[in-house]
Amino acid sequence: MQLADPNVNLTIILPEIIIAVAGVVVMLYDCFFPRNRVLTGAVSLIGIGLAGAALAWIWSGAGGVPVTAWGGMVTHDNLRLGFTTVFLLVSALTILISTVWVEQEDVAAGEFHALLLFATFGMMLMAVGNDMVVIFLGLETLSIATYVMAGLRKGDLRSNESSMKYFVLGSLASAFLLYGIALVYGATGSTNITEIAAKIADPNFPALLLVGAAMLIVGFGFKIAAVPFHVWTPDVYEGAPATITGFMATGPKAAAFASFTRVFVIGFPFIAGAEAAGYLHQAWITVMAVIAILTMTVGNIAAIMQNNVKRMLAFSSISHAGYTLVGLIGAGFAATTAARDEAVAAVAFYMLTYAVTTLGAFALITLLAQRNDRRAEFNDFNGIGTRSPVLAFTMALFMLSLLGMPLTAGFIGKVLVFRPALEAGNTLLTVVVVAAVLNTAISAYYYLRLIVVMFFKERTTSWTAPQIPAAVTAAIIITVLGVFYLGIFGNGLIEKFSRSVTVAEAQVK
Amino acid sequence: MDLISENLLTILILLPAFGGLAVLGHSLYWKDDGHLKWITLGFTVAAFLISLLLLSGTPGSNGYMFEKNIPWIQAIGTNYHVGVDGLSLWLVLLTTFIMPIAVLSSWHAVEKRPAAFYVFLLLLQSAMIGVFVSLDLLVFYLFFEASLVPMFFLIGIWGGENRIYATVKFFIFTAFGSLLMLVAIIALYYLHLQATGTGTFDLLTLLASLESGKLAFAAPVGTLLFLAFAISFAIKVPVFPFHTWLPDAHTEAPTAGSVILAAVLLKMGTYGLMRFNFPLFPEASRELAPIFIVLAIIGIIYGALVAMVQPDMKRLVAYSSVAHMGFVVLGMFSFTEWGMQGALYQMLNHGISTGALFLLVGFIYERRHTRAITEYGGISSVMPLYATFFVFTTMSSIGLPFLNGFVGEFLIMVGMWKSTILSITDSANWNYIATMFAGTGVIFAAVYLLWMVQRIFFGKLTNEKNRGLKDLTYREIGLMVPLLFLMVYMGVYPKPFLERSRDTVVAIQERVMRQAGGTVDHDEHTAKAE
Repeated sequence: MQLADPNVNLTIILPEIIIAVAGVVVMLYDCFFPRNRVLTGAVSLIGIGLAGAALAWIWSGAGGVPVTAWGGMVTHDNLRLGFTTVFLLVSALTILISTVWVEQEDVAAGEFHALLLFATFGMMLMAVGNDMVVIFLGLETLSIATYVMAGLRKGDLRSNESSMKYFVLGSLASAFLLYGIALVYGATGSTNITEIAAKIADPNFPALLLVGAAMLIVGFGFKIAAVPFHVWTPDVYEGAPATITGFMATGPKAAAFASFTRVFVIGFPFIAGAEAAGYLHQAWITVMAVIAILTMTVGNIAAIMQNNVKRMLAFSSISHAGYTLVGLIGAGFAATTAARDEAVAAVAFYMLTYAVTTLGAFALITLLAQRNDRRAEFNDFNGIGTRSPVLAFTMALFMLSLLGMPLTAGFIGKVLVFRPALEAGNTLLTVVVVAAVLNTAISAYYYLRLIVVMFFKERTTSWTAPQIPAAVTAAIIITVLGVFYLGIFGNGLIEKFSRSVTVAEAQVK
Repeated sequence: MDLISENLLTILILLPAFGGLAVLGHSLYWKDDGHLKWITLGFTVAAFLISLLLLSGTPGSNGYMFEKNIPWIQAIGTNYHVGVDGLSLWLVLLTTFIMPIAVLSSWHAVEKRPAAFYVFLLLLQSAMIGVFVSLDLLVFYLFFEASLVPMFFLIGIWGGENRIYATVKFFIFTAFGSLLMLVAIIALYYLHLQATGTGTFDLLTLLASLESGKLAFAAPVGTLLFLAFAISFAIKVPVFPFHTWLPDAHTEAPTAGSVILAAVLLKMGTYGLMRFNFPLFPEASRELAPIFIVLAIIGIIYGALVAMVQPDMKRLVAYSSVAHMGFVVLGMFSFTEWGMQGALYQMLNHGISTGALFLLVGFIYERRHTRAITEYGGISSVMPLYATFFVFTTMSSIGLPFLNGFVGEFLIMVGMWKSTILSITDSANWNYIATMFAGTGVIFAAVYLLWMVQRIFFGKLTNEKNRGLKDLTYREIGLMVPLLFLMVYMGVYPKPFLERSRDTVVAIQERVMRQAGGTVDHDEHTAKAE
């Protein structure tokens, strides 16, 4: 057997390298000069900025980056580009938002920033990885960092519970995932997505492939909080500090979607004439369609019944996972590579719109709920529309975007993910889209409820307007502009997300 | 001048939104609320004056004036395509005309957070104009939904006691309907993509493809799409049995909100039916017309009967809206030129008359803070001018000849009478029966409105609290006079209105009836009042 050229290329993973280095720098700095939260935050932001610049640079095709490198372990395609943008944005916003929390509660900021950067590194691996092993590595790096972050509020029992629950159930999910990877390897003889995609037309053991795929769905389903693997979500989200909740609801979820899309849409495609592949394709599409409908419906109905805003947003994040699944299923049904790329871009774009909106909402909750998130019940928001009108209107904007009102990011996101599913012209998929739309109508109730309590109810208790640190102001301004920008001028970004950068194209430039 | 006329519609959409920004900036910077209403009034009046330029337009080859079509989000395939024709022209003018009146009506009424109130009013105006001029389905949907949010806040913050229930109900009913429409809109895109190779949200492109036979709907698809659009619009109109949000929303809304709701927002539903449902799905329109006619008649009679027993003036007027909008729907689904022209005309009439009624109820509410009919009685002796205006408006609403309501209702009745849409065979035609039932609605309208007038204004002044009531102020008179003038003008000389809309309406009617093999009856002239 001859060893293939491993095709070592540092440029392709330049953004990942930068983030990892920044993480190490922050960690080491914190060891020797602890408690300098401004500096570690600044270094982290600079690292993220540089990673973003590196991404933009290879995106433009200037680096002459090949489509795959490192022996096919990593790949440079539109899925990676779109999702990595989401991760970098989520981390940067989380750092900005965390300033208020770090100050109020005297959290060890250096640790937090280092953990966040490592989590980001893990997420980026999950998007760039073209091999199940790389994806799993990324997932574990991400998960371990997140388990710790959920428990950062050491003195708070709820935070400890949140961290513990997340750890135990997360490990279980990882085990499922690993088992799934092993079974798929057994069936196809490879862990490489491209090779798996070629092999599923004629697998060694078709039954193993199906069982493996089922395990993978369980594992990823847990990470994206899809029903029926969602039960951990509300407790974990409620217990974790609001800043971390915002991060968990957007970053790791988007990362799980990146790998989920990679493995299923690209790894398990429909191959005309191949019996095993056709059966697998039909099976996973059907299962995911059922999961998507359940996820949206259960998430929405449970959200209606919540009295705590953080819990409401936790269930809302479940239902949003459902909407995103609609896009993923649509991508799985795409007839051509171009259509598939567009659908994948739609999923990435949806995650972007969702992340911007949700992080904005959590930034406001961090501000309004104050120390230890004590005031996160709906009643605590009574009548603040008159007391802090700017904050209240901003919150209302985020709620409307989550609901999917036109002119906000949420609307374009929804249209984009529903489109590929309708395009398929398949009855099952049409049913899924109709269910999604009805669910959107249901969701109006609880998103509006927050607006109703903020603006239409009278406040009976006293209210002190929160002090807004400059960094949080920046985060809020970025998210507000983002909601409008993506909602009105999202065109350019969607096109960039849909375009596969190929070597040929890069050379032409 | 060219620049203005080329972008006239865009200016009309953006001007109120900029007004909103101006109000916001002013209140944040000067912290003084005294000037806000003047700024708002200035912007709405300017918008009205600019909108008058629309009358100077000449239709292009495709029947639209002031058309503008530029790409917007290409990834989705949607264009910013706007234009007006005979159908939308009057509705845009109605919107710009009613807005200054709505602003003036709340001159002293808004004490709580005036800046936000005026911002929402202006944003609402932008959205409403956007709805009437969009020719791209997605852009239309966008404005249609966007109009919900300001109204949601207007009712929720400045409404009556039960405002939260009313506004949430209003929002959820309407949002539910419009989401169904969104699915249908996206489905149309893909049906067009499958049929012709290019997807489009553009109404005119879709119509052209249907015309040339490139795009056709299979049996259940056309009906389902029709229903998705129609239910959304029926909720907005509202057609019985989707009307239950309306009385609540109307009763709880502040006066300006009620006026806009009645005058413009309800018209979005009937406008949508005529603009989208009929031309896109002519077959389904014909097939399902009997159902809509029956629902419209139920709405007319049910609305009138329920209005009769309302103890609250505003609720009474709200139910009368259900009945009046029933007439509009009836006229449209008759698919005759008379009926459809009448429907369009009645949309304008209803906007003016019912808007005026809500204003009048608002006037007395500001004085006495009650709307219960039993609290009043004999007040014509203390408020003679108010009584005169009220009776006049009531007459217009009932449809007294030489006032606007008569022209609309008469055209609709004649249209229904001549309609062939209900004929099962040549001998068994239900159109006469339908017309007869609808006709009873006119009588009922006279009963409940006149009875209310009698209980409020005539007889002895029984309630001592009413003795000191002041008659209308100059501001209130100034608001009512343009409305009263229009009631008379449109009643005596409807020709200029009907002439402008005729070509568009006839084109829609022909489109629906042509494939039926039925008769396309060309009436000589619909302007019947000499």
